[in-house]
Amino acid sequence: MCAFPLHVWTIILALRDFSWVTERTNAWDAIGVISYGMVFALIESLVVFLAAVLLGFLVSRQWDEGRRIALLSVLVLITALWAMTSQLYFLWGVSLPEQMMRFLAQSEHPVRVLYATGLALVLPTVLIPAFLVLKSNKVFHFVRELTERLSLLTMFYLVLDAGGLVIVVVRNL
Amino acid sequence: MEKMNRPLDRREFLKLAGLLSLSYAIPQFGVAPGASQPTPGGQNVLLVVFDALSAYHTSLYGYHRQTMPNLDQLAERAIVYHNHFAGGNFTTPGTASLLTGTLPWTHRAINHNGTVDGSFVKKNIFYAFRNHYRIAYSHNPLVNTLLFQFTQDLDEFIPRERLFLARDGFIQTLFKTDEDIATVSWARTIKRREEGYAYSLFLAHLYEQYREGKVANFKPFFPRGLPNTGGDNYFLLEQAIDQLGGQLGAFPQPFFGYFHFLPPHYPYKTHRDFYGKFERDGWMPVEKPADLFSQEKSTKTLLKWRIWYDEYLLYVDREFRRLFDYLEASGLLENTWVIFTSDHGEMFERGISGHITPVLHQPVIRVPLLIFKPGRETREDVYTPTSAIDMLPTLLQVTGQEIPDWAEGVVLPPFAPTSPDPERSLYTVQAKHNEKYAPLTRATTTIVKGRHKLLYFFGYDDLVGRERIELYDLEEDPQELNDLYLARKEVGAELLDELRAKLADVNKPYL
Repeated sequence: MCAFPLHVWTIILALRDFSWVTERTNAWDAIGVISYGMVFALIESLVVFLAAVLLGFLVSRQWDEGRRIALLSVLVLITALWAMTSQLYFLWGVSLPEQMMRFLAQSEHPVRVLYATGLALVLPTVLIPAFLVLKSNKVFHFVRELTERLSLLTMFYLVLDAGGLVIVVVRNL
Repeated sequence: MEKMNRPLDRREFLKLAGLLSLSYAIPQFGVAPGASQPTPGGQNVLLVVFDALSAYHTSLYGYHRQTMPNLDQLAERAIVYHNHFAGGNFTTPGTASLLTGTLPWTHRAINHNGTVDGSFVKKNIFYAFRNHYRIAYSHNPLVNTLLFQFTQDLDEFIPRERLFLARDGFIQTLFKTDEDIATVSWARTIKRREEGYAYSLFLAHLYEQYREGKVANFKPFFPRGLPNTGGDNYFLLEQAIDQLGGQLGAFPQPFFGYFHFLPPHYPYKTHRDFYGKFERDGWMPVEKPADLFSQEKSTKTLLKWRIWYDEYLLYVDREFRRLFDYLEASGLLENTWVIFTSDHGEMFERGISGHITPVLHQPVIRVPLLIFKPGRETREDVYTPTSAIDMLPTLLQVTGQEIPDWAEGVVLPPFAPTSPDPERSLYTVQAKHNEKYAPLTRATTTIVKGRHKLLYFFGYDDLVGRERIELYDLEEDPQELNDLYLARKEVGAELLDELRAKLADVNKPYL
């Protein structure tokens, strides 16, 4: 689950970059950019995995192993989704609604209001799914199935990582 | 580099990001395919370009503020050109004119982050100096786009990032043989601030904190923030000068060095030693009416930016002095031609700030030029109008080399064998939004002949199908306040006809 969002994001952005790199140099260099990107994504996935494992030690053992894994998977996925959302402003030019901006500008402490609003928005998206994973069998089973399917997809990404690694090695020979 | 003056679209953003890194596509410290065969006994040339340095703001040329006191002193040993014009009004065309010795309508590097026409890959100053050891460096990614085209004729292309404060040296070390593409990918993966997004979702945030920590110690020296080329690409001019000064003696001689530093280009982040120097001097520049292409900057805003820019010039001035001292102390000055110039100017008037504008008034196209001849101890002033395209033939001439037939400029006085032609026409071209390989249909061009300067705007939406023509007498009216196009009809018509004929001529290959 750690690898999935990181690889999806890397692939989307790397493919967006493919055309200008090809235009400026050649297709082999563009493939090189994607390959390095995949290798970096693999490294980041391992780092996130390790962080998740460490976090796992903080989760109470009153829940079984499956539930703890599901909980951590959900947390990683939601955090990754928010990290993607934070970049949408630049990718799509998505901005805060006009009314919100006006409200912030008029408030005495716009930064505090912004952070408080952000927290109010993010916290429920983390806490509610976490609570449901732990308390609801239906949600737990859904997450487990989702994790299994995404793990299959992740295998495909690992193949791409291996291909990327080979290309990186070849380019550095 | 106008990215700092207006938001970039995605494509420009990416191209810049790419370039930032493609500047590593280099025969770095190795020997390039077209490696030079330095001829023993020849003289060195050091071409130093400070980006966006306007002659109008330089005390040497009569500016009210003492923005460059060191240059004033050094000028006593130089040939000082008082009416020197850039080829264009922003980095790409201005630099390409310097490097190719041709005008933008010939080299075609007219668009933002543009490249010169393929034929100039072997028609440029580095190729022309193939008897020298050739080195190049630039902070500015737009310059690196051009230098990248000339790598075959560079013996050393110093990576842009080498002179940044927090560089990711491990990427270059780890992927030595594929440094360029590894660096592009690394930038796209981790540097979220450069484009606002990155491949990395988590580590990019940690990386930002790490980078900020690395430069934290320097921040107190720059009250307006650290000089940077965008994002967190911070640099110190003094560090660049130290490195260059330290390395010059080690280059094989004779060498030809092209060093293009970003200051005083925006963002104007002066050193604390100069911070606030002009803030309360009470000086008010001549007020000028808002231009049709005004960016609607208020007088207050323009005054503020002018002060910031002028204070940044003090920093540039001190650092150039230090470079000069390095050269002198090392003895290199005895055998090195040193050129001090810029690629274009900057303006803070008529509602316009910066240089990203269709307007080609003097502050944005008139640049300083000082030539320090080896061993020279006296000053000479040249008032004849000259152009950036004259640099290439002049430097070749003074170093005893052949001037190629494709060079459009002439040898500058006093090095030319004949007196300067008083009827010579000088051109500057702004065609940023014109298609590269198409006739110029949306552009501004100027022609300077003798004391007169004609500005010709055409194809802009704001002109609603009309042309805009202005004529100034630069001797009587150096501030360009009185448009004489109607008052001096004959002069105006003659210059316009000549300019139109020239345009028809340069447009021919694209019709």
